[in-house]
Amino acid sequence: MPELVVENLTKSFGKVNALYRISFTLSQGEFLTLLGPSGCGKTTTLRLIAGFDRPNGGRITIDGRSILNDPPEDRQIGFVFQNYALFPHMNVARNIAYGTRFNRGIPTKRRVRELLDLVDLRGFERRTPAELSSGQQQRVALARALAPRPRLLLLDEPLSALDASLRESLRMQIRNIQQELTLSTVYVTHDQAEALSLADRIVVMQSGVIQQIGTPQKVYEHPQTEFVASFIGRANRFSGTVTVIKHGLISVKVGEFLFFVTSEAGLPDGLDTSQITPGDHVSLFVKEEHMQLREGGQNTISAQVASRQYRGETSIVHLKTQFGLLRARVDTHQAETITSGSKVKLSFSPGAGLLFPVS
Amino acid sequence: MAARLGAGDRGQVKRGGFILFVGLLAFLGLVFYHPLFRVLQRGLTEGGKWSFSPLGTILTDGYYLHIIVFSLKQAIMSTLLSLGIGLPGAYLLTRYSFPGKTAIRSLTVIPFVLPAIVVALGFILFFGNSGWVNQWLMSLFHLSNPPLHILYSLTGIVLAHVFYNAPIVTRVVNAAWEGIDPEIDEAASSLGAGGIRRFVGITLPLLSPALLSSAALVFIFSFLSFPIVLTLGGARYATIEVGIYTLVRTLLDYRLGSALILVETALSLSFTYLYLKAEGGFAVLTQGSRRLVVYPLFVRKASIGRVFIVVYIVIISVFFLGPISSVLVDSLRVAGRWSCESYRQIFALSYNPFLGVSPLRTVLNSLFIGGIATAISLPVGTLIAMFAVRSRLPGRRLIEAILMAPLAVSSVAIGFAVLYGLGGAPLHLSGTLIAIALAHAILTYPFVVRVIRPVLEGLDPSLVEAARSLGASRNRAFFEVILPLIGPGMLAAAVFAFALSIGEMTATIMLMRPGLGTMPVAVYSLLSARQFGAASAMGMILIVVTAVAFLAIDRLGKRGTKCQSL
Repeated sequence: MPELVVENLTKSFGKVNALYRISFTLSQGEFLTLLGPSGCGKTTTLRLIAGFDRPNGGRITIDGRSILNDPPEDRQIGFVFQNYALFPHMNVARNIAYGTRFNRGIPTKRRVRELLDLVDLRGFERRTPAELSSGQQQRVALARALAPRPRLLLLDEPLSALDASLRESLRMQIRNIQQELTLSTVYVTHDQAEALSLADRIVVMQSGVIQQIGTPQKVYEHPQTEFVASFIGRANRFSGTVTVIKHGLISVKVGEFLFFVTSEAGLPDGLDTSQITPGDHVSLFVKEEHMQLREGGQNTISAQVASRQYRGETSIVHLKTQFGLLRARVDTHQAETITSGSKVKLSFSPGAGLLFPVS
Repeated sequence: MAARLGAGDRGQVKRGGFILFVGLLAFLGLVFYHPLFRVLQRGLTEGGKWSFSPLGTILTDGYYLHIIVFSLKQAIMSTLLSLGIGLPGAYLLTRYSFPGKTAIRSLTVIPFVLPAIVVALGFILFFGNSGWVNQWLMSLFHLSNPPLHILYSLTGIVLAHVFYNAPIVTRVVNAAWEGIDPEIDEAASSLGAGGIRRFVGITLPLLSPALLSSAALVFIFSFLSFPIVLTLGGARYATIEVGIYTLVRTLLDYRLGSALILVETALSLSFTYLYLKAEGGFAVLTQGSRRLVVYPLFVRKASIGRVFIVVYIVIISVFFLGPISSVLVDSLRVAGRWSCESYRQIFALSYNPFLGVSPLRTVLNSLFIGGIATAISLPVGTLIAMFAVRSRLPGRRLIEAILMAPLAVSSVAIGFAVLYGLGGAPLHLSGTLIAIALAHAILTYPFVVRVIRPVLEGLDPSLVEAARSLGASRNRAFFEVILPLIGPGMLAAAVFAFALSIGEMTATIMLMRPGLGTMPVAVYSLLSARQFGAASAMGMILIVVTAVAFLAIDRLGKRGTKCQSL
């Protein structure tokens, strides 16, 4: 049974539409990530669910009951702020205890102890927020939000202020706690690595509109819109026109060159070969890790190595081609065999191309 | 009011804030805008009709033209000299480290709250014809006449204004200087710019908003200065403020008094506009990520630069400590002996012929007025600060400027507005302590705004949201989260307003009736009667009140910022 349902949610600030008819559901215990560039409306969505702002249209229900007329304090929704918003005049214990006082039946002292254990901050009870590192502040913010046993947890870019290694470990800690408590969670981020590694499902947003909802794998491997294809992962993009559609293959003319893409893998869901005709303008995306530095069937072009970037196990190779500068991600031991300026063959399999009709 | 509150009660909050704000405007309209409007109108009417004739009289009369020109001239001189004295101080505070630096930096706020009449008193005692300096010089060089004649002259007025204002220059410019990111200077030197080129090309342009705004501030203060000119200027050196006072209180000529206020307000409004514009340029400055490198001031290495620094320090020490110390010393000396007699005198219950009332009465009057004025200016200032920080109304900058108008209107004008606008029906406040308290409330609330506004700006709006998402109601969130955080700031603002009211003499003297005297007025009366001992004792009480207020602001201000610096 779905717990949180958001339907046609619309919010405008003055004349600007921050959100336009957003709909998604969150089932019990699910971890949902709202992913998008800044200004895409993800934080606005979170604030509407929490009750800090009022939508101009649409519905938000929890277990079938609308919460739109409830003030934030009656919604039982935990919120972790980007800047943590810890009460600077209260120590750690009092920060965590704050929400338990409004919920009779939660023994404050025991709950504070439980949560300090949960976030590994035993012994920090008497510290004030100013005396904590930012990672510790983040964990206190999480503990404070969890203390009143919320029905739902919302996190607004909770790790964006931390450095990379800390981000990674706290990410796992948040995920573990969420699974331990089977807590329905909405997590806002602009960091795709965070979204891909954390979420059960990802909602990709742009300019106040949902672009795609799906599992991390689905969103990464089968982007449904050109935006998602360019926002998640790194891809090479070509503009061309469809010439022939035959035997499950679509040929796309880019400049003077013909690329072949399988229609099964290459077209977004709900679009088949009957809906495109020769002469249609399309964008062709090929992810950098699908580019190969060897002769490979018909999709083979000549290239000259421009530069190499070492990334550990893999390396990024920048290549000068007739289509401009392209990127390929290859195993480092292969990249080591080529030198800058050398001429190579570059190819991708027809199954690796992603096509998006351009209207 | 609150920008982001819960969904259910948002309309209610907006309505509540709106009602409060309308109430605020109605109150200010009654006690300030309307009375001031009536005064300005009076200056533009003749026999009940609109007319430029009062204004014409002022602008064609040689005497009034002379005092207008003199007001501007002494203000310009005071500003230039304040910059000259204040800037080296800003440089020393910025580039050198020395013991007591933090304390000195904090002390620069003192003149701002020190009652002007006490400064005037200190100047008379220290620099006067029979003052300390002249006595030392006479005994040192065996002279029979005092060699220094700086009182009752332009020099005396300007020096007193410098005493008052140079620390402001030091404070403002030092703050801006320390806010400059040292990396900008380092970038310039890595590009090959030498020391002087860096100063002229980089530092000076970055400091110019601070220089301009502090200069404008000093100019406005000097232009509108009253007690110092009244006391140190004598009959020959009158400014517009003194001219208005004489017209209204001595000659009872409301027609010309109003016209002169009109001229003065037009001038001061233009200067204030310039000041606010200059101040707006600050925002870009304060982004330094690293602190400036400072050098120890006291080292065993003689150089021309060091000699200048030492000479400067000696001169400003004498200049600033001399007048204040002489007030202290004179309050404890009677007929060449140490004695507490002067203090006994001012705490006497008996009638004092020079004051027209018992000295203790003036202390009680001051406390009463200060209490009422603070009780009014604190909520008024807080509401305006909330409006300035939270409002999203179009045109809110203009509304804010209008709400801060008392900053640009002189104290004499505000005193006269209350006298003229509220003295008669329906309130009949003429000759009451309430009238004086109202004038003080109007004078002090802009300072309350200035103290509380940054506190509110530093308040993270998500704190309320956090409290509410945890289950706290709107009211609980306010009392448990907001109030504890802004409380110290509000207390500091209240202490500040109280100290300003206690030291205020200008509006008070415009509204005074026998029996309503306050402590500064008593200092002035005793000074005029040449009762220096009693004047000094009363002055010392004012200095102590000021010092306590300063300590409170310093401590509370620090606590406030510590809370927000999270």
